[in-house]
Amino acid sequence: MATPSPDLSAALVSLRTRWGAAAPAVVGEVVGALATVPLPAEDPAEAPFGAPFGTPFGTPFGAPAPGMLPAADERIVRTGFGALDAIIGPGGIPRDAAVALRGDASSGKTTLALRLAAEAQAAGSIVAWLDLGRSLDPVEAVARGVRLDWLVVLVPDSLDEGLAMAGALVAGGAVDVLLVDLPVARQGDRAPAAPVGRVAGPRASAAPTRPPSFADRLHRLVALARRHDVLLVVLEPPGLGSEAADAVAGSTGLRLELVRRAWIRLGRDVVGQRTEVTVARNRFGPPGRRAELRILYADGGPRDACLLRPPLLAEPRTDAPTHPRTTRIDQRATPPPPLAPPPAPARPAADDRRPELRLVPDRPAGPRRTPLDERDRPRREPGGRGARDPAGNAPRGRTPARARGDVPRPGA
Amino acid sequence: MTRLLREHPSIEVELDGAGRLVAIRWAGRREPVEVCNRWRVDEAWWRRPIARDYFKVVGTRWLALVYLDRVDGTWHLERVYD
Amino acid sequence: MPLGGAHRLAPEATFLDPAPEADAAAVEAAFERLAAFSPGLAGPTDPADPAFGRLEVQVDGLDRLWGPEAVLVGRLRAALEPILPGAPRAGIAGTRFAATVAAGMSLREDVTRRLRIVEPDGEAAFLGPLPAGLLTPDPEVRARLARFGLRRIDAVACLSRSALVARFGVEGERIHARANGEETDPFRPRRTSERLALGTAIEPPVEAIEAVRFVLRRLAGALADQLLARGAAAGRVILRLELDPAFARRGTPTLLEIEQRFPEPSAEAEAIERLLLARLEREPPPAAVVRLELELLEVAPASGHQLALFVPQAARVARLRWQLARLALTYGEDRIGTVELGDPEAPLPETRWTFRPAGWGMAPAPRLAPAPGLVPAPGSRVAR
Repeated sequence: MATPSPDLSAALVSLRTRWGAAAPAVVGEVVGALATVPLPAEDPAEAPFGAPFGTPFGTPFGAPAPGMLPAADERIVRTGFGALDAIIGPGGIPRDAAVALRGDASSGKTTLALRLAAEAQAAGSIVAWLDLGRSLDPVEAVARGVRLDWLVVLVPDSLDEGLAMAGALVAGGAVDVLLVDLPVARQGDRAPAAPVGRVAGPRASAAPTRPPSFADRLHRLVALARRHDVLLVVLEPPGLGSEAADAVAGSTGLRLELVRRAWIRLGRDVVGQRTEVTVARNRFGPPGRRAELRILYADGGPRDACLLRPPLLAEPRTDAPTHPRTTRIDQRATPPPPLAPPPAPARPAADDRRPELRLVPDRPAGPRRTPLDERDRPRREPGGRGARDPAGNAPRGRTPARARGDVPRPGA
Repeated sequence: MTRLLREHPSIEVELDGAGRLVAIRWAGRREPVEVCNRWRVDEAWWRRPIARDYFKVVGTRWLALVYLDRVDGTWHLERVYD
Repeated sequence: MPLGGAHRLAPEATFLDPAPEADAAAVEAAFERLAAFSPGLAGPTDPADPAFGRLEVQVDGLDRLWGPEAVLVGRLRAALEPILPGAPRAGIAGTRFAATVAAGMSLREDVTRRLRIVEPDGEAAFLGPLPAGLLTPDPEVRARLARFGLRRIDAVACLSRSALVARFGVEGERIHARANGEETDPFRPRRTSERLALGTAIEPPVEAIEAVRFVLRRLAGALADQLLARGAAAGRVILRLELDPAFARRGTPTLLEIEQRFPEPSAEAEAIERLLLARLEREPPPAAVVRLELELLEVAPASGHQLALFVPQAARVARLRWQLARLALTYGEDRIGTVELGDPEAPLPETRWTFRPAGWGMAPAPRLAPAPGLVPAPGSRVAR
């Protein structure tokens, strides 16, 4: 294998200093400045969080998976999931595309959107997040590889204002990717806000016109994004009105529908999920193709090391297997052990390429957390059923019905 | 990724006879849930105390994080894992 | 020459007693007049200085306001006519030395013009045929140049820098640079350049934002060129609008002052113009505008160039900051910005990060070492 030149090595060190683990690394033979090698076969055993199957940059938190390097095509934005990139068509999402991510709550669409943002940033893009849902968690975004330095956050007061701000931002040409996180259960048609700063006077009169609908505004935003080569991603929440849903469907050339197929458990805790993504509509390739994503949730504690040890995880076989390596659960397995902190993982070998987890926890660890025992049961709540039994000190030895993760499918 | 609902909307919960959380009502829907993890947070007792019991709950549709505010006795939805 | 000898040579001449204070006052008054045309002025005010009487005016970008260089010199000449005796000679070139030589040679031009203009980057060609003795005031160096047979400036320019340094030391490097049309003495304005201001009247008064924008663009362009010529950038701007009270409502102020801080120090006219335009659209003037003045504040040396090679976003962060600043002016500062992590292990999730309004938060691009002092950029134009 040819060794990188000193200039290239210095450049990569600089990138790593700045981008951390999202920076590219040289693997394989160096040809020119960077080598481009095909994506390797999917290997869930090596899958890090949210990026199971051969992402170009591997995990955001460590060395990229072997054979991974960013593609030379700057017109493509990778999703962070190699299996999904492979079925979209051109190996990722084209820069001038308008994409809709549709799925129920906990379907994984937000994880997918953040991974896409992280991949775009790693490729040099500036990303904007239109937080209409007021639910962006920057800590989690960082855990997914997003660089907050290069993330513009728009927090409008209304949908109309948000779309206007998004349009101005796109028209300015300063961002490359715009993610529109639509709020839950919004109505489509609303009158737009009056324009700001017009010169008052006898010449500033205009006949009243019909205010543009949500569909009109979304169409304009899509057209504006395409004209300025901005990738537009719309996160469609569950329960969106039919008119708004039709507007999103009609405006986007690529629609991905996410359905969670199974939970992944570590003992009793749910630590991840398997999600099936269907390319419901695709202007850039054949529709109807499917891929399965494996998403893990890390909380930054000592338990995270267990997530990289597949034998500890319980992943039931889904009813519609789309991946040949789906893990089967032995129905005769013994009940999971009671909740307890896992043993400290062994120190990895020097040449071990597994990433060192430095996720930001979503809850405080250590002495702030007090495991609840039998003496600290929740009190009775107004409207709740059942009365608390003060003398009910019986240990909770009964195994819950779903301890082994055989979660029924939605709608079953 | 979890969605952090900044307003921490109030929710209604259902407890079984043993006082365990078995269902949640939010946004007009009832969701039977199972508690898969829980912990307690006690902070800042010297000023405005923060006393919360967190419950990671899983249902048929979603995985979420709810908490009981032990100061005022209300239940809230903090996160939805998506 | 003794006074008696002068009388014998020119008995019809009128001899005046020296009045250094009056001479200095006249030159000061001349600088004050010139300050209305350009914020970049230099020149000695001490009558004992050998260069006394030389007024240096930085003319970069002034063509947007005052027209071509010849027209500008005509305006300067008209402004100085009541103060200084006779018609001043003028020379315009890209270096101070070449401009001085051009001004000296303009004596041969007709009295009404007395102006010599050297084309941009044509300093070496202009100086080439001239005597090499012009390159230095040192008589010893002049004599040595003559002994070496270097009678023309282009002959000196053909020599290598090291050869001249070996023969003439430090002075050799200076004469080599001058002969090749390179600047050797940085332009040092009379006033420390903490302020740059230009204003112009608008006749007839205008109400429309577009008309105000037209004038604003010219002023911003002229000032930005001055900044660029000095390798400087401004951090703040004040826009002053004098309003016409004739048809305004009672109680309307006659002076409107808008102060705006930049997301980062800048010398880009278009960015400054757009930011101010966003403010004007948000706070339109309540009456017609009769005069517009623009002042740049917090002027400091620009801190170098961004390293775009290894950090792709860094090359565009300046543009993004400006755009976010404009959007924040339109929609509100709390609507757009970035987020910054605080304590990721804070007990409450809402306390683990903070929202930073627009203009903050973008990672600063890696920069080179700051440029030393206020040195005019190569190619800046100086009038003498």
